[in-house]
Amino acid sequence: MKKAHDLLVGPPPYIFNRQSTPSIIWGTVAALSPALAWGLYSFGISAAAPVLASLLAAAAAEGAVCLVTKRFTLWDGSAVLTGLLVSLAMPPGVPLYVPVISAAFAVVVVKGIFGGLGSNWMNPALGGVAFAILNWPQEMRTWILPRQLDGTTAVSGATPLGLIQSRLITAGSDASSLLGAGGMPITYADTMATGALNQGLFSRLGAELPSGYIDLLIGNRTGTLGELSGLLILAASVFIISRKFIRWQIPASMIGSFTLLVWIFGGLPFGRGFLAGDVLFALLNGSLLLVAFFMAPDPVTSPSSRWGMLAFGFGAGSLTFLLRQFGSSSEGTTFAVLIMNCFTPLLDRPRGLGRRGAPQET
Amino acid sequence: MRSIRTFRHGGIRTEGEDTWIPRHPVQSAFLPNRAVVLLKQHSGSPARCVVRRGEYIREGMVIGRANGNFSGNVHAPVPGIVKEIRATLLPDGGEAEAVVIALEGSFDRLGRRLERYVWSSMSRSDMLQTINERGVIETEPPGRPVFDILRQRARTDLLVLNAIESEPFLKTETALFLDKANEVIDAMGILRKLLEPARMVIAVDSPEIEKAALEAASLAAAGASSLPSIEILHLERKYPQDLDGQLLDAIEGPRRRAKAEFLTIRPTTAFAIFEAIVLAKPMLERYVTVGGKSVKRPAVLKARIGTSIGDLLAECGGFQGRPARLLVGGPFRGIAAYDLEAPITKTTTAILALSDSEVGRLRRSPCIRCGRCARACPEGLDPNRLYRFLGKGRSVEASLEGLGQCTLCGSCGYICPSRVPLVAAFSTAERGSAGARMAK
Repeated sequence: MKKAHDLLVGPPPYIFNRQSTPSIIWGTVAALSPALAWGLYSFGISAAAPVLASLLAAAAAEGAVCLVTKRFTLWDGSAVLTGLLVSLAMPPGVPLYVPVISAAFAVVVVKGIFGGLGSNWMNPALGGVAFAILNWPQEMRTWILPRQLDGTTAVSGATPLGLIQSRLITAGSDASSLLGAGGMPITYADTMATGALNQGLFSRLGAELPSGYIDLLIGNRTGTLGELSGLLILAASVFIISRKFIRWQIPASMIGSFTLLVWIFGGLPFGRGFLAGDVLFALLNGSLLLVAFFMAPDPVTSPSSRWGMLAFGFGAGSLTFLLRQFGSSSEGTTFAVLIMNCFTPLLDRPRGLGRRGAPQET
Repeated sequence: MRSIRTFRHGGIRTEGEDTWIPRHPVQSAFLPNRAVVLLKQHSGSPARCVVRRGEYIREGMVIGRANGNFSGNVHAPVPGIVKEIRATLLPDGGEAEAVVIALEGSFDRLGRRLERYVWSSMSRSDMLQTINERGVIETEPPGRPVFDILRQRARTDLLVLNAIESEPFLKTETALFLDKANEVIDAMGILRKLLEPARMVIAVDSPEIEKAALEAASLAAAGASSLPSIEILHLERKYPQDLDGQLLDAIEGPRRRAKAEFLTIRPTTAFAIFEAIVLAKPMLERYVTVGGKSVKRPAVLKARIGTSIGDLLAECGGFQGRPARLLVGGPFRGIAAYDLEAPITKTTTAILALSDSEVGRLRRSPCIRCGRCARACPEGLDPNRLYRFLGKGRSVEASLEGLGQCTLCGSCGYICPSRVPLVAAFSTAERGSAGARMAK
């Protein structure tokens, strides 16, 4: 019989939950792959270039940080996740130096300098995206029509949100006319699905779904590589929430508060008064779903208490609405979440430090 | 369907533990050729050795006399010659004096039908003295002598028979209860006489035990033993449901938690009380779970005190593959053993040889502030915050944050995806503060 001396001896506990930090991070990477695949399908294989460039740059940057800190941390997957998220927020056809520099910035400056995984206060991916938006505004606003819409992947003018932003549309602003003005025809799939839904379901409820929304849900629209398909992101969200990679509070309160504000105030610019905002259009355009499920709930940079998470999501959703409605850019999720990152320590301990009679820090 | 009760805050549901059912009735393990009997198997100071080297001793004879409060008598588990009295390594690396007995001669008890004493005519002090004399201690660490626990009590509102396995992988209480439900219920009658509790509850978390408890309780009620009504409460299977605070929380609700005078007792301890009083038998053997995927034939065995853990493992077919961990006790509150010669004591609940897949990934990574530890903590603490305070040497702040409430249950350490050594830090800190108290 074997002697026991070579057995592992150490402090309890002696069994662990299956989930480890690397498995959570790699699992999140896996959950993003359907959205990525849809982006690659929509924009052609050339759209893989910014993704690969971003991943390689993030991995190389992590490698460089490892050399300095003398801790090998590439296996934990956080650099790969950051690189992937940065590339998913890029427009297709973006010049490769944009994702490369942004991903490297995210890994080295936003995460590495603050002490690596777990020590950064700002979400690395969003930090990288913000860096790109501020440095290369033009490159970050050049859109391509997906192949489902014209088959040639020609350069297009704007995203649906951009159209609203530039006030091109002021009247008759239903989804189909908005999409039409952006050069995005309604697809056959949308016509069929909308028709079937209206006949089978909505007519009985006395409602009607205008055409265009199914296209938005599937992801037949312009946008960044990863944000197109709300459907695939929602499917992935079911996976990551059921596996407990993230908790539901932040996405729920972020999407909820945003939806509420859009519904109440979203109709005003179009002269439709209060309580007339186009909620579905606002939710299914832009990066809201991607950010709400994959970036805002990043545990490192968001609160972990229940009320803290709800407050964080509420703040992020409200700021997104304000930035979209009144900001200079059509998109607001990135900066909304980054601003909320600053509040994380406060939201986790709303009473502040030292209020329970603890001695002051020395 | 009934709602299944549990404690309010935190707790964990483990996954991946083996689900074999202990054989019934439980078999006795082989007798040890050399029994190594520790003189400290209880929480107080070591018993005084009263035998000499070379002396022949009979089964059940006192070999160590209790030495002060919370010390207990130690008896010879087997007849034989005292080979030596020496310092022995404990599973955790500590040292304790032990009497080594080479098996020889005939058994006074083994194989004989034991006379049953009618305890109803015994006085309270007689019963307590009997329990003390027979060296009955709680059957899990730290092993408080039952005599000392009972003697100090003035009032008992609630007596709980805690038939919930303390940790995953353990089947000890289950096996004993299925074997000896009637005896355990009798022991409840003894305790009722000693404590006169206002309420008696059997807490269970498995249908089998609930069934056995119901049968035994109704049998007892039908008989002449005039037991009060014993409530059987089915609680949710959630770790650490068995700890006193969590048990009371589940039974009484959090508001009464602070006030109630209560006592919890394990079926194995209750059975030892029964044996001591009804069968006049000291604690010579106990039920031990030998489990884990790295054990060929997991089983619950009735083993004599002083049997080596290696012998029990060998009796279960030895190892299967390379065990990742060898534990004495459960995976949360047990200790990692490094010596197969370490003996079974009165508080050895289990020997576990866990495989790599049961242990899980060990490698540390940085804390990602996910908050799982705080959600798992059954005491409502924030383990990550405590850990950070302790890491900076700010133990006063850690105490103010509630470090003293930590029961070292290990829920936070189990759930932490980054494998931060939370529990190690807390146990070191608690040892430190206990040391500081002693010094004062």
